Amino acid sequence: MRKIFPAEELARDGRFIRQTNEQRMGDPRGARIAGGNSGDRLAKLTPELANGPDRARALMHGIFVGEIQALEGAGRTCWDFEVGEDVPLELKLDMARQCWDEARHCEISVALAEHMGTELGEYAENALLYEAACNPDPVLRLTGVNRALEGLAIDVFNTMKEFGNMAGDPVLEFCEDWMLADEVTHVKMGSDWLRRLTENDKERLDKALEFQKVVDRLFSFNGFRGEEDDSPIQLTRRFRELAGFSDDEIDEIADMSREARVEASS
Amino acid sequence: MTETKRPREPFAPWDRRALPGLFDVDETAKRVGHYKWVELKLFEALGGWVATVPELDVKMRLGTHCYHHAWHADLFDKRLPELREMKTDRLTLPANDHMVAFIDAMTEPEEAAMTIEKLVGVYRVLIPHKIAAYTYHRNATSEITDMPTVRILDFILQDEFNDWREGEMLIQSMIETEEELDRAMIHQTKLEKLMLAAGGIAGPGSIGDPYVEIPEEN
Repeated sequence: MRKIFPAEELARDGRFIRQTNEQRMGDPRGARIAGGNSGDRLAKLTPELANGPDRARALMHGIFVGEIQALEGAGRTCWDFEVGEDVPLELKLDMARQCWDEARHCEISVALAEHMGTELGEYAENALLYEAACNPDPVLRLTGVNRALEGLAIDVFNTMKEFGNMAGDPVLEFCEDWMLADEVTHVKMGSDWLRRLTENDKERLDKALEFQKVVDRLFSFNGFRGEEDDSPIQLTRRFRELAGFSDDEIDEIADMSREARVEASS
Repeated sequence: MTETKRPREPFAPWDRRALPGLFDVDETAKRVGHYKWVELKLFEALGGWVATVPELDVKMRLGTHCYHHAWHADLFDKRLPELREMKTDRLTLPANDHMVAFIDAMTEPEEAAMTIEKLVGVYRVLIPHKIAAYTYHRNATSEITDMPTVRILDFILQDEFNDWREGEMLIQSMIETEEELDRAMIHQTKLEKLMLAAGGIAGPGSIGDPYVEIPEEN
């Protein structure tokens, strides 16, 4: 088995449909949750919205395919790097633990998707998340995946947990809360390893943080994740702090989101 | 002195643990180092294969089992300093070159259409050999002096039995034609030959030697 497995070869059965991000965002059924931005549609995800339940279904399917890719990415980090030469054993042990967590998240989210009336493959998948997990530098890979993408997962799961609460759906709320706990752990892993592996390497630290910004920007989807009242996905300060984000870093993500909104609306 | 009804023996009548064991500290450390190396190679492979396997249930099982074997590697890694090996990497070694050849052959399949080969290598060859070696070690070492290793092996064996059963059921559910059965058997035979040459996961003597030495007659 080779090192660094390309995103276009990710193994899927016939039910999955792979699309580019642009194509996926063009899907009118659930687009405004996870992307796009037009004045008439951007709104916080609530059950009261006319298309709220459909948005939530689309988002849950997106969570499911995201969890598969997170599982695949963590698994590849176990394989792609050599203990001692590239990474410490403890980093790989963390990634193996993340594999287990992501496998459970796949099980949870596919069951929740079914619970919400969604069929597997009803929405398309892009491979953006896994692509971030192909970075050949383990520090950049962990920063991009564990801090940027798993950080986004904190925001998404908290939003879905609130949606479950508002919708009176205890199953959804319960499961999202558990997944949220795991995500905080994963982001903290990213924060801890970034600090440990770049302790005496400022240049690598800067590169990793820059890569994190690139990934964060890529997943900003025109500002859908932010702190405004109508942000479909709410930026979650408290949990990000628990996971090792500084106030400045959270401010920066919020600013990035605001800028993306302005850019999209103009 | 404390008042008791009557004095008691240090070992209760039902406690038949004995002091002697087959392995001294150095031999135990050497074996534990080989076990750690195998667990490391296994969890790396299971993690790497996740992206290459299209069957959803298999993909998720591999992710779960990946962590089990990483945890085993961690348990063995933590045991090594207790066996006087402070630089654990020094003993994290394959038993011999044949064992390296076995792992290379086991981890070779990558194509999406080779899930059967991937599963057979792990669940029909490697894990049964691990169970055998760990059981031998668990039963042959001193349950008093080396109880920490026994305890570790008990935890690990519980995982191994569960994973073995799950993996075997996945294989059985995937083999639907004679051609698929042949593929499984051919791959198993190829890997078993390599394992035979290695003498087991810890080299010759992995599960002891049951034969009796008979002195030659003059």
